[in-house]
Amino acid sequence: MSTQISVPAARKEPQAPSKFSLAVKMLSMPLLLLGFAAFMVISMLGMEVSDNVDFPGPRFFPAVIAGGMIILGLVDLAMVLRQLRQPVTAHSVQNTTFRDGDPADEVHEDAVSKLDLFSLVWCLVGFIVFTFALNFLGWILAAGLLFWCVAHAFGAKRHLHSAVVGLTLSSLTYLAFSLGLGLPLPTGFLGGVL
Amino acid sequence: MDALSLLMEGFSNALTLENLFWVFAGCFLGTAVGVLPGLGSSMAVALLLPVTFALEPTAAFIMFAGVYFGGLFGDSTMGILMNTPGQASAIASTFEGHTMAKKGRAAQALAVAAIGAFIGGFISSVLVVFLAPKLADWSANFGPAEFFALALFAFVATSSVVTDSAVKGVLSLLLGLAFAVVGIDGVTGTPRFTLGSPELFDGISLVTVTVAVLALGEVFYQACIRSHKSEHRMIRPKKGTYLSKADLKEAAPAWLRGTAIGLPFGVIPAGGADIPTFLAYGVERKLDSLRKNPRFGRGAIRGLAAPEAAGNATTGMSMGALLALGLPISATAAIMLAAFKQYGLQPGPLLFDRSADLVWALLASFFVAMVVLLIINLPFALLWAKLLLIPAPYLYAGITVFCALGIYATSNSTFDLLMVLGIGFVGFLMRVNDYPLAPLIIGMVLGPLAETNLRDALIASSGDFSVLFDGPIVITLYAVLVITVVVAVRNKFWGRTPTEPK
Repeated sequence: MSTQISVPAARKEPQAPSKFSLAVKMLSMPLLLLGFAAFMVISMLGMEVSDNVDFPGPRFFPAVIAGGMIILGLVDLAMVLRQLRQPVTAHSVQNTTFRDGDPADEVHEDAVSKLDLFSLVWCLVGFIVFTFALNFLGWILAAGLLFWCVAHAFGAKRHLHSAVVGLTLSSLTYLAFSLGLGLPLPTGFLGGVL
Repeated sequence: MDALSLLMEGFSNALTLENLFWVFAGCFLGTAVGVLPGLGSSMAVALLLPVTFALEPTAAFIMFAGVYFGGLFGDSTMGILMNTPGQASAIASTFEGHTMAKKGRAAQALAVAAIGAFIGGFISSVLVVFLAPKLADWSANFGPAEFFALALFAFVATSSVVTDSAVKGVLSLLLGLAFAVVGIDGVTGTPRFTLGSPELFDGISLVTVTVAVLALGEVFYQACIRSHKSEHRMIRPKKGTYLSKADLKEAAPAWLRGTAIGLPFGVIPAGGADIPTFLAYGVERKLDSLRKNPRFGRGAIRGLAAPEAAGNATTGMSMGALLALGLPISATAAIMLAAFKQYGLQPGPLLFDRSADLVWALLASFFVAMVVLLIINLPFALLWAKLLLIPAPYLYAGITVFCALGIYATSNSTFDLLMVLGIGFVGFLMRVNDYPLAPLIIGMVLGPLAETNLRDALIASSGDFSVLFDGPIVITLYAVLVITVVVAVRNKFWGRTPTEPK
């Protein structure tokens, strides 16, 4: 992994991402797309369509989509595999060569090199907990919790402060939307208390 | 003129107290998301989409238009002051704009940008008023083959012409199309890809996909890269400095040229304002190099004026294309098209007949929005910059809460919340791996249109594909498409997006 290429874009932090995590990241999209296409093909095989349906029936358009996804997904997969065989730094360099001068690239280039999984997990878990606790806790508490989890994922240090801000926001949205616009939001167990 | 009297009527509708409120709300929100780096008008419109169902359609669209235009007014502010453009359409303005600010001309740069956006938006709105009804009349002749060609045009242009990697662009488009075919087939009643789950019989809701991909996916992405962002320092404009007459004279031709470049892109589905801003910048730079003492690289006013005008000119025209043809050229426009459908309105010739009130009130509100935006952007740019004081954790946490709110408020189901999480995660993976997102949204919105029209055309011709290439409009559309692709391919080899000033 020590193959540093002398390009300006090589101003990176010394620890390049591990080859494994890079592979997971880059393979995720082509595999996901191929998986979805496979799901479409299997569903289409089992789809019950009566014989008197004129061409093109309900399967024609999805078949074109699935076909395209499989072909291009394989092309993408091949490109990713080829990139993965090259040294790690070569990939990140390749990503930046065309588009220098784009100020957003600084962020982007770092994003390619390293992802903060800790933050991602906090966001995902927060959202899942919110989803399942919503009806029990009610909107105000559940949304406050969601706010706190995401703020924590983004590195908010003052935990009590985040909680207060989150609960204030969730209460305000509850008032505005449930009482103001008439969109129903769950009250949860607080509904019985208040 | 007929259009003028209709427009006057539109003004009388748009200038009611309630609608004025929504114009203001949209403009404020649009400017805010434009100013904040990382947030764009597409995300704002996606988040508003579920909430606006409680509103009148006119109010909702007036607000959407305010957000769409506002994003383009606001996006250059941080680009100029901090070298961090608020969205992609401001990158071209940032080069010379930030250089101007570094030379102590930040106030002038902000003024040039705001006036440029105003001029581009204003001229395009005038054109839309006169052209959109004609365009709508013309599109009344469209049959299934024409609509399919139009959709195909949008697919190819957004997915492969404007993106860095055509493979990723088309894959993103196909994923959007795949989301769109889930649910009960409208023609035969066959459930497709629902896994037998009744929640999916109605298909995957567009609200879910847009909120997931554009908002939640962005939150996840930002959470992961947050700690790696470099700090930029903000330049404070000097008080009491204004545009001089010489500045105005210098900027005026660039504003007009930028507008001229931006206008045609409003009807070409090439992803919105990003390309025309770069083109306008490139043209000014080339013209500048012919002058005796070139000013580019040293804070050239024209390098800022032209892209700003171009961006809003494109946006204005794109609203015309959306209303008259039902053709969305960018993710934001695609979401607005989806909103029309949610209200049971079909943009196109019928819209001008059946919902003339709405159309003309909306067109009139463009002008109101331009004036409002000029007023809230020109003198108060520094106040907007204060938005950066919102800590990023709270900003993104707030966005997440709004995602959840929007989804739950419209569906009332846990299933949809899980769906938004799953698709949001896909959106995150797409961002991480450099997949463009606009094709997915366009595919999702136009997919049903493309499929229905393709099937109508083929059923009518009993499976004969040549019917798709029948008729002058269709042939013209495909010819333009081929030319666009050829030019794009040529440009990719000849030189990528206009180079940075160095």
